[in-house]
Amino acid sequence: MVKFDANMVDNSENEVLFLLSNEAIARGAVEAGVRVATTYPGTPSSEVGDTLSHIAGKSGMKFQFSINEKVAIETAFAASISGQRSMVFMKHVGLNVASDPFMSIAYTGVRAGMVVMSADDPSMYSSQSEQDNRHYADLAHVPMIEPSNPQEAKDFLVLAFDLSEKFKLPVLFRTTTRVSHMRGAVTPGKIREGQPDTGVFIRDIHEFVCLPSNSYTLKEKLIEKEHELKKESDISPMNRIIRKGTGEYGIIASGAAYNSVMDVISEYDLDISVLKLGFTNPLPESAIVKFISDNKKVIIIEELDPYLEYKIRTIAQMNKLDSTIFGKLDGYFSESHEFTPDTVAHSLSRIMGFAVQDVPENKLVLPARPPVLCPGCPHRATYYAVKRAVKMMNKTDTIYASDIGCYSLGLYDPYEEADTMISMGSSIGMANGFAMSTKQKVIAFIGDSTFFHSGIPPLINAVHNKLNMLVMVLDNGTTAMTGQQPNAGENFSPPGDELPPVSIENIARSIGVADVQIVDPYDIKETLKAVTKALRENTLSVIVARRECAILRDKAMQKTHRVITYTVNQDKCGKCMNCVENFACPAISIEGGNIKIDSNICDGCGVCAEPYVCPFKAIEVAQ
Amino acid sequence: MKTFNIIITGVGGQGIITAGTLISEAAIKMGLNVVMSEIHGLSQRGGSVNVEVRIGNAYGPISPRRKFDLVLGFEPIETMRILSTINSDARVIMNKEKITPISVSLKDAEYPDVNGMALLIPGIKKIYEIDAGDIGNQAGSFRSANTVMIGAVLSLGILPVDEKSIIEALNDRFSGKMLDINLKAMKLGMEAMKKMDASL
Repeated sequence: MVKFDANMVDNSENEVLFLLSNEAIARGAVEAGVRVATTYPGTPSSEVGDTLSHIAGKSGMKFQFSINEKVAIETAFAASISGQRSMVFMKHVGLNVASDPFMSIAYTGVRAGMVVMSADDPSMYSSQSEQDNRHYADLAHVPMIEPSNPQEAKDFLVLAFDLSEKFKLPVLFRTTTRVSHMRGAVTPGKIREGQPDTGVFIRDIHEFVCLPSNSYTLKEKLIEKEHELKKESDISPMNRIIRKGTGEYGIIASGAAYNSVMDVISEYDLDISVLKLGFTNPLPESAIVKFISDNKKVIIIEELDPYLEYKIRTIAQMNKLDSTIFGKLDGYFSESHEFTPDTVAHSLSRIMGFAVQDVPENKLVLPARPPVLCPGCPHRATYYAVKRAVKMMNKTDTIYASDIGCYSLGLYDPYEEADTMISMGSSIGMANGFAMSTKQKVIAFIGDSTFFHSGIPPLINAVHNKLNMLVMVLDNGTTAMTGQQPNAGENFSPPGDELPPVSIENIARSIGVADVQIVDPYDIKETLKAVTKALRENTLSVIVARRECAILRDKAMQKTHRVITYTVNQDKCGKCMNCVENFACPAISIEGGNIKIDSNICDGCGVCAEPYVCPFKAIEVAQ
Repeated sequence: MKTFNIIITGVGGQGIITAGTLISEAAIKMGLNVVMSEIHGLSQRGGSVNVEVRIGNAYGPISPRRKFDLVLGFEPIETMRILSTINSDARVIMNKEKITPISVSLKDAEYPDVNGMALLIPGIKKIYEIDAGDIGNQAGSFRSANTVMIGAVLSLGILPVDEKSIIEALNDRFSGKMLDINLKAMKLGMEAMKKMDASL
């Protein structure tokens, strides 16, 4: 790690680094002289923040895990108009949260360079939707840049800052999972010197106040800038011809799809020209007109929406070009999910008429291995206790409103305590609606980070509107699912700093929640008592189930060998299967009819040994 | 050079991403081009994880399904899951250590018998089975099972990466006791594979 950190901020001739694109982006931010960087963690953007949290201080950058994306973008914007280069990054749906200020920032423009990174998630490896954020570039009328690999991720980011500063506009820097989470060789570049360490804000009341009278003029200026940007796109090194064929077929591609295209061309040895687009709003119109004129058949290959295709077909029509264009609108390519070399080859074969071998269908029947809560995860104990309490109180029609985080996995068998989950903070927001429209008991599950992000306004709404619900705040002291980033609820120390923790229970009490309880989820009895009490009283209750994330604890202990693990005393085991069927820890399984705990997987939490999980007291500390 | 495509599969927490990174960094040290996919799913530990490493003339981190040269299976069910979708004559090294999925335990069922399953898959001729967890324990920690697997591949002699560069990559990543354990794990993995090859 020490060597990695040093390499990331070193300005001398470096050895080639093997970086994830997200790490390369962090290096790009250092090279571009970024002074303020902010984020709310979200996969697939998280590693940019993980990296910057290590190296920011060493490069003279101030870095912050903000409370949410809206605050993050506003913070970065203020830095930019105070003369410091700034960067804000988030996952695609995070930009929805930040979209209100984002739209206005396009109107006002920026001063020092400002880049807004959105990491989209085609195929939804870790997201609720595969929303195509390229549309945000159109919506806001801002330039957009899309890299395809780690080297480009770094190089293009530096170019994005220059572009932002030249046109005084925020630049949308869009990656996808397969780009952000691709590792490859990166040659570092020079670090830009001379960026001011302190910003100074110079007022201009016409520039940054979006009152209608100001915005009326700002809109006209924005459209003027967009026209100027078209010329810039045409000469940009980010848009270029990669290879030339004989003029029969040409492909226009960008982002991760470009990689698959190039791999297919080399696999099948195809005669084809390729125009790669990296500066994708506005499009390089002259370059596209020439490319279409030079090739009889032009194939547009992009993931998700036909974003490029609509624009390119418009360009072709306006310029009366007679080449044939293929894409999604005529059904050759899918509008859903990421592309692979196999899917691209399949679509291309239909257009070009070469033979591809099909990928075989899965012939084996194998048990699924869906994502599970980790061994030792405090959420498992909470879900176990809540389910039991609901059963004890016979609240059979209880509605479980869940939220975004590891605890979303409470959806799965055997807990099945997630009936809804749509967006950050929606557990409490939707609980408001269920409380208004039904007579059913509502339990909202929300994590600490999500509570700070957007759980507080709906809780205020519930207090003020006298809506009854049980809010379970699953406080594991971290933003766990994205890789254990810190949040406002705990002490986090970037080198030399200690930040004051914000208390969840104090927030709840201060806004008027009378029934606030704090429990340790590892103590099933205590949690059961708290939940049954809350279910009995028909009021607004908040229970903070507080216990550190198991992975965070393991990391803190930096253990290479476990100290305590548990085992099943077969003489005592009554084979009731409660631990297997209802507690469902990945360390517990059945072998030869007996229950077994895998000592390599057991995290030593000991919850399964409690009589509420093992009434036979057969689970014991392994000697 | 022809692209050498590797898929490493197993369960979150087994050190699969680290194994992919070690092989890749070793390839970089030898001056080879390499790209690697690193998908983080929803769970940190306990879910299926796949990592692809492509050494040579590759643009993207996703290999065509028929073009794998090597499958490193860290868990039997996950190995079979990958093998049944790739249709390739890839060489396969499989860690025999079973990790029972929750979906099996919940049905009061036991780990399925995977013996012979691979024979139902066209193209798959031979699977080298190894007790990487046990060998890792001998080296000093079961967590070094991933390095045992890398050692096994090295002695198979098909990887375009040599022992020296793997050792350099281990030196970059680990220090002190963990370095010693991993160096030993690599050696033991190499020996285990040699014994297996000799007995065939």
